[in-house]
Amino acid sequence: MPKCLVCYKWTLDEQDIKIKPEDLSLDSSRAKGKISDFDRNAVEEAALIVEKEGGAVEVLSYGTAAVKLSLKDVLSRGAEKAHWIADPSAENADAAVTANVLAAAIRKLGPYDLILCGEGSSDLFNQQTAPRLAALLGLPCLSFVQKLTVEGSTVTATRKLEDCQETATVSGPVVISVLSEINKPRIPTLKQVLGAAKKPNEEIKIADLGLKPEDLQPKALRQSVKGFVMQRRNVVYKESSAAENVAKLTASLASEGLC
Amino acid sequence: MAGIFIFSEDSALAKQLLTPALELKASLAQPITAITLSESDAEELAKLGADKVVVLTGGTWAEGFAEAIYSQISKAEGSILLVGGTLRGKHVAAYVAAKLNAGMTTDAKALKIANGKLLATRVLYAGLAVCEEEVALPAVATIRARTFLAPAPAPAAGVVETQSAEADSRITISEVIPTGDKGVDITAATKLVAVGRGFRRKEDLKLAEDLAGVLKAELACTRGIAEDEHWLPIERYIGISGQTVKPELYVAAGLSGQVQHMVGCRESKVIVAINTDERAPIFEAADYGIVGDMYEVLPLLTAALRK
Ligand SMILES: Cc1cc2nc3c(=O)[nH]c(=O)nc-3n(C[C@H](O)[C@H](O)[C@H](O)COP(=O)(O)OP(=O)(O)OC[C@H]3O[C@@H](n4cnc5c(N)ncnc54)[C@H](O)[C@@H]3O)c2cc1C
Ligand SMILES: Nc1ncnc2c1ncn2[C@@H]1O[C@H](COP(=O)(O)O)[C@@H](O)[C@H]1O
Repeated sequence: MPKCLVCYKWTLDEQDIKIKPEDLSLDSSRAKGKISDFDRNAVEEAALIVEKEGGAVEVLSYGTAAVKLSLKDVLSRGAEKAHWIADPSAENADAAVTANVLAAAIRKLGPYDLILCGEGSSDLFNQQTAPRLAALLGLPCLSFVQKLTVEGSTVTATRKLEDCQETATVSGPVVISVLSEINKPRIPTLKQVLGAAKKPNEEIKIADLGLKPEDLQPKALRQSVKGFVMQRRNVVYKESSAAENVAKLTASLASEGLC
Repeated sequence: MAGIFIFSEDSALAKQLLTPALELKASLAQPITAITLSESDAEELAKLGADKVVVLTGGTWAEGFAEAIYSQISKAEGSILLVGGTLRGKHVAAYVAAKLNAGMTTDAKALKIANGKLLATRVLYAGLAVCEEEVALPAVATIRARTFLAPAPAPAAGVVETQSAEADSRITISEVIPTGDKGVDITAATKLVAVGRGFRRKEDLKLAEDLAGVLKAELACTRGIAEDEHWLPIERYIGISGQTVKPELYVAAGLSGQVQHMVGCRESKVIVAINTDERAPIFEAADYGIVGDMYEVLPLLTAALRK
């Protein structure tokens, strides 16, 4: 009966972030938070495994104070208990700091049989956290997993890589990163949403993790973040007659020398 | 700290990594060591500018060599590791970065040394923004295929040595099934017709194939079409986690144009959108667009172009 821990990130919804035309800076004042997309797949996968094999699902997130906003959502998706670390250091944390903090928390909370992450976070998409956690915790890592089976202590994963699908087996504790195709995350029912409020959540203070100051010092620092703007013609044909639109488009393509 | 290291299990990408490595060598005045798992790549890498090539033997599963690669770099107190940004490469790179307690840039574009640090360009929010990331040394960066061209042969070839390494024995690979349509490299296509979730059934892709036929274009798609529906092989999906393409013409049919997709095609010369939803973000990213049902528009367009 595997004890599972899912690491999830609370990120801004990039669809709400606007680029300011004056200086190309990002305006996230209207952006709402969300559980990073692929982390919903990771929570779902852990929930599915536990429904079948027994065991337990806990979740862990490191963020700024905003991370508290995620608790109800994540607990309505099948997790039994949420652990959270709210600290200003998360604002500029790079993958090294994130992994140092998560690994220290896992050492304190664990051991776990399965530690699940998403393939990449929606904001940074570093694709680093799972292999970093494995390195820091001394565990094997199966990344980019599209199918997962757990039987006793044997974990079998199908990984999807650029040119092949690869099936790998490992016994015992393992860190896994999942692809979005592994499952379709549930839409929590009203009962699950209401039930979430009664589930336990516990704060972990960063000061209690025994980290050295340099462990919290980002090694990669983001400079000069600028929105990407495309210069496009934006000519849109929207007559009611499709034939007319097509005629105009073919004329445009011809003028570009493309047909 | 001394030494620039490169690693990729992909032969072509390993050679491409030498180009940024040679530029970094010019600023840091440190030798380049290429780590490889392939004897046949080794000679080539030595000819193209690696001062030293270390062939690691003892297995074929690249990820299993992460610890061995880490120990090569830590022994030499290497300052920079460039890794080919395949999924296997990203796994290896992140593992090594954690062991080195180093920062790492994913999918780095331009790299240079400034103030004794590695400065690399990368995207954030899946392409919504671009930033420079400053990474203290030792630094790790992954670089995707075709970000750089392979360099010309160097005046003198480097030395090659073979070392046996201990691969990760905790993981057993039981089956490897090659995927995809070998031979079609959509990154080399000059025209692409890209399909998205607006297609209701796999058979309907015929409409896009017909258009691609008259345009002499290849088919491309969004992640959902490849990964969720499995209607097209994953080599054909474009975006932050898929391919990056720069064709002359990119026709996007029935795809919404989310940033995670567009980041892979936004350097196309001309982008054409066909979508029923006038407010779909694809129209902001397009040069020409038709608001309409592609089930009606595509056959008309194919017929018009056939003439
Ligand atoms: C971290 C992360 C990484 C991702 N990486 C990638 C990636 O690399 N590549 C990628 O593609 N996606 C990626 N995605 C997913 C991406 O965010 C979008 O969800 C996806 O690109 C949308 O696919 P789509 O356009 O096919 O589908 P939809 O967004 O569902 O769009 C379908 C479109 O079809 C239109 N339509 C419907 N019927 C018709 C019709 N009859 N005629 C004309 N138009 C019609 C609709 O108006 C709609 O605009 C990623 C997501 C995340 C979170
Ligand atoms: N701050 C965080 N808290 C908890 N989990 C995280 C955090 N950042 C990243 N992760 C996990 O690591 C995965 C990969 O993130 P990244 O390496 O940033 O692309 C995410 O999908 C999460 O599962």
